[in-house]
Amino acid sequence: MAYDEKILEKSIDPSVHKMLSRAAELHIETAWDRYEKMLPECGFGELGVCCRNCNMGPCRISPFDDHGPKKGVCGATADIIVARNLVRMIAGGAAAHSDHGRDLAHTLLMTAEGKSSGYEIKDEVKLKTLAVEYGIPVDGRTKEEIALDLAKAAYAEFGKQEGFIQFTRRAPEKRVALWKKLGIDPRGIDREIVEIMHRTHIGVDNDPVNLILQGLKASIADGWGGSAIATELSDVLFGTPVPVRSQSNLGVLKKDHVNIIVHGHEPVLSEMVVAAAGDPGLVSQAEKTGAKGINVVGICCTGNEVCMRHGIPMAGNFLQQELAVITGAVEAMIVDVQCIMPSLGPLSECFHTKFISTSPKAKFPGALHMEFHEEKALGIAKEIVQAAVDNYRSRDQDKVMIPEDKTECMVGFSTEAVVRALGGTLDPLLEAVKTGKIRGIAGVVGCNNPKIKHDHGHIGLVEELIKHDVLVTSTGCNAMACAKRGLLLPEAAEQAGEGLKSVCQALGIPPVLHMGSCVDISRILTVCAAIANALGVDISDLPVAGAAPEWMSEKAVSIGSYVVSSGIFTVLGTVPPVLGSPVVTEVLTRTANDVVGATFAVETDPVKAAALMIAHIDAKRKALGV
Amino acid sequence: MTQPKEIFVKTDRCVGCLSCTIACAVAHSNSRTLFGAVFEKPVPKSRIYVEWSDPDKKIPLVCRHCEEAPCMFACISGAIHRDENGVVLTDTDKCIGCWTCVMVCPYGVIGRHLETHKAYRCDRCPDRDVPACVSACPTGALVYETAASFSGAVRKSASRELIRSEG
Amino acid sequence: MEESTRYLIAGGGAAGMAAAHAIREIDQEGTITLLTDEADQPYFRPLIPFLVSGEKKDSDMFMAGSGPYKSGNVSVRTGSLITWFDPEQKTVYLENGGRIGYEKILFATGSRPYIPPDIEGLDADGVFALRTMADARSMAKRAEQTSHAVMLGGGVLNLKAAFALLKKGLKVTLIVYSPEVLSQLMEPEDAFLIRKALDQAGLKIINGRSAEIVLSGKNGVDAVGLDNGRELSCGMVCIGKGVSPNVHFLEGSGVIVDGGVAADMYTACNIKDAYTAGDVAVAYDPVSGDRMVTALWTNAVEMGRCAGKNMAGVKTKYSGTFGILNATQVADEPFVSMGTVHTKEGDFEVQRSSTAGSYRKMVFNAGGDRLIGAVLVGDITNAGLYRYVIREKKPVDRIKQNIIDHTLHYGHFV
Repeated sequence: MAYDEKILEKSIDPSVHKMLSRAAELHIETAWDRYEKMLPECGFGELGVCCRNCNMGPCRISPFDDHGPKKGVCGATADIIVARNLVRMIAGGAAAHSDHGRDLAHTLLMTAEGKSSGYEIKDEVKLKTLAVEYGIPVDGRTKEEIALDLAKAAYAEFGKQEGFIQFTRRAPEKRVALWKKLGIDPRGIDREIVEIMHRTHIGVDNDPVNLILQGLKASIADGWGGSAIATELSDVLFGTPVPVRSQSNLGVLKKDHVNIIVHGHEPVLSEMVVAAAGDPGLVSQAEKTGAKGINVVGICCTGNEVCMRHGIPMAGNFLQQELAVITGAVEAMIVDVQCIMPSLGPLSECFHTKFISTSPKAKFPGALHMEFHEEKALGIAKEIVQAAVDNYRSRDQDKVMIPEDKTECMVGFSTEAVVRALGGTLDPLLEAVKTGKIRGIAGVVGCNNPKIKHDHGHIGLVEELIKHDVLVTSTGCNAMACAKRGLLLPEAAEQAGEGLKSVCQALGIPPVLHMGSCVDISRILTVCAAIANALGVDISDLPVAGAAPEWMSEKAVSIGSYVVSSGIFTVLGTVPPVLGSPVVTEVLTRTANDVVGATFAVETDPVKAAALMIAHIDAKRKALGV
Repeated sequence: MTQPKEIFVKTDRCVGCLSCTIACAVAHSNSRTLFGAVFEKPVPKSRIYVEWSDPDKKIPLVCRHCEEAPCMFACISGAIHRDENGVVLTDTDKCIGCWTCVMVCPYGVIGRHLETHKAYRCDRCPDRDVPACVSACPTGALVYETAASFSGAVRKSASRELIRSEG
Repeated sequence: MEESTRYLIAGGGAAGMAAAHAIREIDQEGTITLLTDEADQPYFRPLIPFLVSGEKKDSDMFMAGSGPYKSGNVSVRTGSLITWFDPEQKTVYLENGGRIGYEKILFATGSRPYIPPDIEGLDADGVFALRTMADARSMAKRAEQTSHAVMLGGGVLNLKAAFALLKKGLKVTLIVYSPEVLSQLMEPEDAFLIRKALDQAGLKIINGRSAEIVLSGKNGVDAVGLDNGRELSCGMVCIGKGVSPNVHFLEGSGVIVDGGVAADMYTACNIKDAYTAGDVAVAYDPVSGDRMVTALWTNAVEMGRCAGKNMAGVKTKYSGTFGILNATQVADEPFVSMGTVHTKEGDFEVQRSSTAGSYRKMVFNAGGDRLIGAVLVGDITNAGLYRYVIREKKPVDRIKQNIIDHTLHYGHFV
């Protein structure tokens, strides 16, 4: 089928072409349309030189005009304003990830105390491993007793005033020593975020470098703190992922089923929805309405979470959330927190779709709010599923248009699963890296952004990397892009370079390893730390590199910051709002190498981005003498 | 001949965001992209200015390409001419930077490029369908229309106002 | 053979060319004949220092086809010096023997350098008064053969000539009788930033002295003797002591000459079908109403256009000019001087302000309610607005502080 040239330019995903064409037919606007209407975007914002931190302004620094203002009312230069804005973005991102982690600690606490409904401790081995890491006694204790102590210890990480965050000590000793030396070894997670808000208040920290260091500190508290807690406690409660086969893309919606989409980030809600959807009573009710069953699918990181633990299909990544509703086949779009477009409210009103918000933290205009609490989790989940089932009758089948596109995928390569796939030890991986069969390892993560042709940034980069024998670990929206492209299948090894192909084929693994949701980048850090420790070097010595080809969120800014703080060179595919400051630009792209052993680079062309990463990997290989 | 379009300003719509100034500077940079332009030396210059006056008026100012353009006649080196679309242009090669045009422009919209020692002004973006400042304006304070259609629109909105006030 | 033209423009400078093109905008048919006594086609006279320095070539100089001078069909006669004018017969007589009849005539014969009579030896080779392209070419040639030039006079044109020679690598000494350079355009204390820039640029300036004699040998000039007995050895001398209007051919014609050719409010002379514009004409100041002769390019063009329109039958009032209206840049220091700027004598309200890199002097009338003059050095942004305020006699009450602070912009008039 032929589509408008403009539509083909928006994405590489055929399902998106179909749905955008459908949206145009129905005169429904999507994020792409709104992006076009937003153009040109404000140049001051793009350069990061506007400041609204006090009411003497808003101030903005003129990047060109000789007559224009060169300092804010308080005297802040472009360097100061850009640095303040950047670290506030980090604060936002670190807060989002970490609050997600806090919610998991809360669920674990409630479960350990027997106050939650429907939850249980599914991975006792991990529970004990973590307890030992925290110095919590395990011998002769029940899992609930251990879990209670672990939940309290994890909880305490947020409000801690002094000391260190336990999971940061997974990093190599050299890295921790460096953080201490730089004064960026984080204390309590909340404390570092609060300190950013304090420092960026009018008239506090006005040294761009000092500000950036605090930003890095808070980001470490995210990656090695809040995010790691989210990952680990999710595994304890819902099971540590193991490789599982599933399907992805909008074609996973079923014309003859009650379709429920879980969208957002935390598994706490979605796990219960998945459980409730299997309830025989509800299934038979669905059948009575004429549906053949209940089909739960996921979008965004919630999709990643339930896919890797239950094989629940993934309907798509961030930019497909509106398109899913436009299929006209969705009975309920159930959301919790993060990356949920407020456009879903008015959009759902164009269809029969019930847009159901569940978190007291995240309400939306046009949404039906069915608040979720652990105490009655399963019951509430059943009510929500019930609402979806009841809504099936309202579906107008003439309005339904589900694209047939769907792709098989293999997901769920947790750190433990990776080690298991390697035969219980990292040695085969290290050996493959040493011999050069695996040239290096890349972490490719991040969002979608209509500034970049949808999935093109992700796929263009990942395909180029595996072609050059770089093993890719993937999370978030990148993982979904790879899933849709078939790159998460062992068969995709055919697309890899000879070395990587032989390793993948020997182990039966895909060349791109799905490691989970965006908080699960902590898993990638754990793997890197383990490799560095095995080799007796720092992470910054490893032939590894990171990338966020289509990033857009504040979380991504925090991620990029902790990845660089951990010593990993990171390429961004969209330009961060810092170019208005020569100092901040210099620090991030050059000076950081002398400080934390890694820098950022910006490259919007995915093939060129891959070349930068490969060159970095080769340089590190040379330095390591392999 | 069709009447050429001009840049008109609706001052009541200007919110003072200065987006026009950035778009103008970028449109007159070598790279034509914001992220390229910020690294260029000499820094690209905007040819549109947004001034502020009491009590809180924001006024975008750009070359009017005057009918009897004083700058064109004052120029001592023949660097300023009017093209077939009525656009008054400064020929950078001919400009000697004597600033006579600056001295006679009653709008104050001719800039002095100190690094190159040349005068510069709005050229109505000859390579673009719509001048960059107009495209960039998020509030419609800058419009690109023929004089006839602009004044027609102004008249219409004035009569609407009148009808409204008369109930 | 009697030759005749509808419009006869006497003079190929700014006023003449502006008039010719203004006529063409209105009358596409009538013949226009423009006479210039120079060998070159009409050119942008202010550019001649650039011809000396080599920054411009001959081909960069000509007006036809450049800027607003694009309309064609103007017959230009070079080498045509008018010796006599007969208003009865409506005919001019040329030095080369030709004569041309006209229906309407414009006197735009411009001015020539004033040569001080009290300096001896000015007929030597290597003495110049830069006025024409021919002068510029010979100056450039002379500059190749010498290493030191002495400039007599501290006006704008002489400063520009001085910089052209500096650019060519000469050592240049400027003799200024006044206490400071640019005395016609500003008072000495207004010029300190410019003076600093001139000094830094390597121009040697001697104030309070004048030349008494130019000494020469077989190769022309070899020294200038000053009034204090000092002798400066040099290979060339350039005189910049102002100009006087070219009115000799009007003697006995009945055209009223009073310092320059007299004109009414519509640029017309006292005899029928004759007009005048430019350096040769008596202009008037729109603010004070004073009559005066100026040597300003901007005025020549404005008055020339006005005359051209009147000649073509579109009655147009001449708006007048400030006696002082200059913008330029010397030694990387831009400045603008306009209106009443000499305030030593008389009753004015003067507001001065200076920073490290800029200076301004705003002159208000005694009552302080009208702006009448301005000197801007360094930062000349929005200078045109002050010209507008002065010329339109705008009441300044609401914008006075903006004028004093140099924050005036057009938005204040919206």
